[in-house]
Amino acid sequence: MSRWWFLSAAFVLWIVSGLALVRLPADERIRSRSDQVPPRIVSMAPNLTEILFALGLGERVVGVTQDSDYPAAAASKPRVGTFWQPGVEAVIALRPDLVVTLAFEQQQEFSRRLGRMGYSRLMVNIETITGLFDAIVAVGKAAGASGQAEMLCANMRTEINQIRSATASNQPVKVLWVVQREPLRVAGRDTFVNEMIELAGGENAIGPTLHKYPPVGAEQVIAARPEVIIEPAMLPSVLDQQRRQALEYWNRFANVPAVTTGRIHVIDGDTVSRLSPRLPAGIRTIARCLRPDSFGE
Amino acid sequence: MTTVIQIEEVSFGYGSQRPVLSHISVGVPRGVFLAVVGANGVGKSTLLRIMSGLLRPRSGQVLLEGRELYSYGIRGIAQRIAVVRQEFVPAFGFSVLETVLMARTPGYGPLGFESKEDRALATKALEMTDTARFASRPLGALSAGERQRVFIARALAQNTPILLLDEPTSFLDLKHQVAIYDLLKSTQQQAGTTIVAVTHDLNLAAQYCDEALLLYPSAGEPKADAGLAANHRLGSVSEVLTPPEIQRAFGVQVFSGRIGRARFVMPLGARAKDADFSGRSG
Amino acid sequence: MHPPLTSRILLVRTAVAAMLLVAVMLACALIGPQDISLKSALGMTQSNAAPTPDHEILVRVRIPRVLLAAMVGAALAASGVVFQALLRNPLADPYILGVSSGAGLGAMIAVVGGLSWTLWGRSPIAVFAFAGALGTVWLVWGIGRITGRYQVTGLLLAGVVVNAFFSAMIMFLVSIAKSHQLYATLFWLMGNMTEEDFFVLWVGGGCITAGIIALFFLGPQLNIISVGHEDAQSIGVPVARIELAAFAVSAFITAVAVSLSGLVGFVGLIVPHAVRLLFGPDHRQLLPLSSLAGAMFLVIADTVARMVVAPAQLPVGVVTAMIGGPFFLLLLIRYSKRVYWPT
Repeated sequence: MSRWWFLSAAFVLWIVSGLALVRLPADERIRSRSDQVPPRIVSMAPNLTEILFALGLGERVVGVTQDSDYPAAAASKPRVGTFWQPGVEAVIALRPDLVVTLAFEQQQEFSRRLGRMGYSRLMVNIETITGLFDAIVAVGKAAGASGQAEMLCANMRTEINQIRSATASNQPVKVLWVVQREPLRVAGRDTFVNEMIELAGGENAIGPTLHKYPPVGAEQVIAARPEVIIEPAMLPSVLDQQRRQALEYWNRFANVPAVTTGRIHVIDGDTVSRLSPRLPAGIRTIARCLRPDSFGE
Repeated sequence: MTTVIQIEEVSFGYGSQRPVLSHISVGVPRGVFLAVVGANGVGKSTLLRIMSGLLRPRSGQVLLEGRELYSYGIRGIAQRIAVVRQEFVPAFGFSVLETVLMARTPGYGPLGFESKEDRALATKALEMTDTARFASRPLGALSAGERQRVFIARALAQNTPILLLDEPTSFLDLKHQVAIYDLLKSTQQQAGTTIVAVTHDLNLAAQYCDEALLLYPSAGEPKADAGLAANHRLGSVSEVLTPPEIQRAFGVQVFSGRIGRARFVMPLGARAKDADFSGRSG
Repeated sequence: MHPPLTSRILLVRTAVAAMLLVAVMLACALIGPQDISLKSALGMTQSNAAPTPDHEILVRVRIPRVLLAAMVGAALAASGVVFQALLRNPLADPYILGVSSGAGLGAMIAVVGGLSWTLWGRSPIAVFAFAGALGTVWLVWGIGRITGRYQVTGLLLAGVVVNAFFSAMIMFLVSIAKSHQLYATLFWLMGNMTEEDFFVLWVGGGCITAGIIALFFLGPQLNIISVGHEDAQSIGVPVARIELAAFAVSAFITAVAVSLSGLVGFVGLIVPHAVRLLFGPDHRQLLPLSSLAGAMFLVIADTVARMVVAPAQLPVGVVTAMIGGPFFLLLLIRYSKRVYWPT
């Protein structure tokens, strides 16, 4: 029996001494280096990279994730893992003064880990267009580029308003936004894509759903009666192939207005699959699909 | 002669089934070699388990050395009673010596290792059962008879004054059956151990045991319904293992013959060669 | 066959294993997706200038991960030993009684419900996985006690039923979850080592070490119980009490391990087997040696997981299966003469 008492006592002692000994504050030496204008910034998402470059901070960006492909200058920056699997060692090796992440679970956790190690970090939530503008302002503030941030937002807003005013008077076009064909998944009303569609003068053919990107069945497609079907392609290299496959696939939906009028568009997914400073270009692309006469080409 | 285990008015049933034992009272004298016999399902194993404290009776009490059995605690009972069940091959490959040493476990020191005395007892037990030469072999590599001897050795290593065995020779060949009974008898004679063994072999019981407890099929019926004075018979083997008693307990007629100091019984059915001798004595 | 264990043999073997473990941990701390030099890492600790990235990586990332892997590996191996003994089944592992589905359910609930309670800076997934694992084991134990006349069968059946039910609930939650939540949970569940801060490591390590020592104290009784529990009682071991204690402690350290690192499979099943093949079934030896072997195994597996597709990272559970399977096969072939399988 005595050995059990001994073990319990030792265990309690261990925990208590842990409370005393190991609760060390984060490394102060690193913090002191981050002043108003952080010279070394790491971006953990492609749209964050775009924002940083758009704010003119391209030179101060020292690390980006593997999928940061825009602008071209970003492609030559050191890689710090991917959007889904951030590489903590790579980030540390770059000695960043500021690490910018998005706010979803995986990156939140990563941001927390870096914070525990004493790094300065900024977490922004870019799930809506409003969120995008807030993020641009936040990044500008943290990086000492508030002026540029304001200017960027103003420019973007002006462009978007231009597109809106050109389409506002007409009846919204019903759009089905297809993110995956087999099984069929579409963008629902609670997505940023939906916001872009509405700004481009369209309306989501699918009504409100539980999921953001719900799987739908053929019945719902037919009942929705979309006038235009848009499929973003993930890689520009497969654009043609996807177009052919799309036409083959949609032909079986003979009753759908979009199919009978042949308004099935497979577009380059680059500007429409993430919220970034290229948002106006993305909205314009969509508007072109919806009203080809108004927007030319 | 004092009674070392006393069972008083004990009743037991598994779950809600009809009781297996009903109001049984039995006293086991000290130092005796007692055989427990009876038909299948009559409650022999159950009685043994109740004696060893593994099962609790629904009513009645069990006394060990005059005290309530359960008051001793699991460890206390284990210091006085050792149980041997039918041999089996366990899931993990312990050696013979390791298995026998396990009997000493409750007395281990703080780091859980056996003392020299523990080892000496285990070695002695191995020698008594003639299993010392297998000491480092895994149990699974032995024959059934050898394994049964190892389980007996483990019980002996427990160093208890009482030994309970449940059909220790059921599946063994002749040579091993005899070896085990010789071993048990010598243990009783040299160490004064009280031995209670459930067995189906009436003849070996007659040759080796002093007393026999015969359980009738009515052992589970309440006394009032039975219409019989008792549900068991306890006495010396020559009193108990007689044709009329065997007929009553097993429903079988036997021929009873005398060898020297003990008798033997030969069950004879209607189509046996000597069927006309059944029910007679010689 | 193995000669019976003496305290001297055990001490020697444990000491050798411990030294081997330390060596492995040090070596693996120097391996990672970034090349670091030991000189640079140790050089800047005294001066006032900021520490070099090498030092940061070594101290903040590598060492915590290696410590974590060692802890989790030890916990899983030790509780694997105990579950195999209690269930008298060499194929048992720490997850057999619902820990995996309980942890998974806890994690899914945390993510889908958007719950954000943290404990000592650990993520809500970890906290809820811990609660889920522990709660499930308690549930299974309770059901097993009520329904099982023969203790072991009752427990196993209860475990199967609970596993099935919880898996169905997990599937339901998966179907209504958002995609990025799903990915995060799945990845976490597949088992991976991330660096934790030292306080969490301190507490976790303390719990696991205390648990393993407690199980070691139960070693001799576990020997007997693994042979048969009626036998154990006749020998004088309070079977029900010991089983409950061993079960509770193993479940606890498994839950701690799962909350630290997700579900890492294979360690709890294979390491006890391998150690048993090499050194025999005596639990007084199995427990310390399996713990140390499990720690070594997981540290190495984690290092491989980090390096093999660098800079990406494999879930460590994939690596444990891929290393563990063939290794065990080899061991089995070489030592099969020493094994006697009951017919």
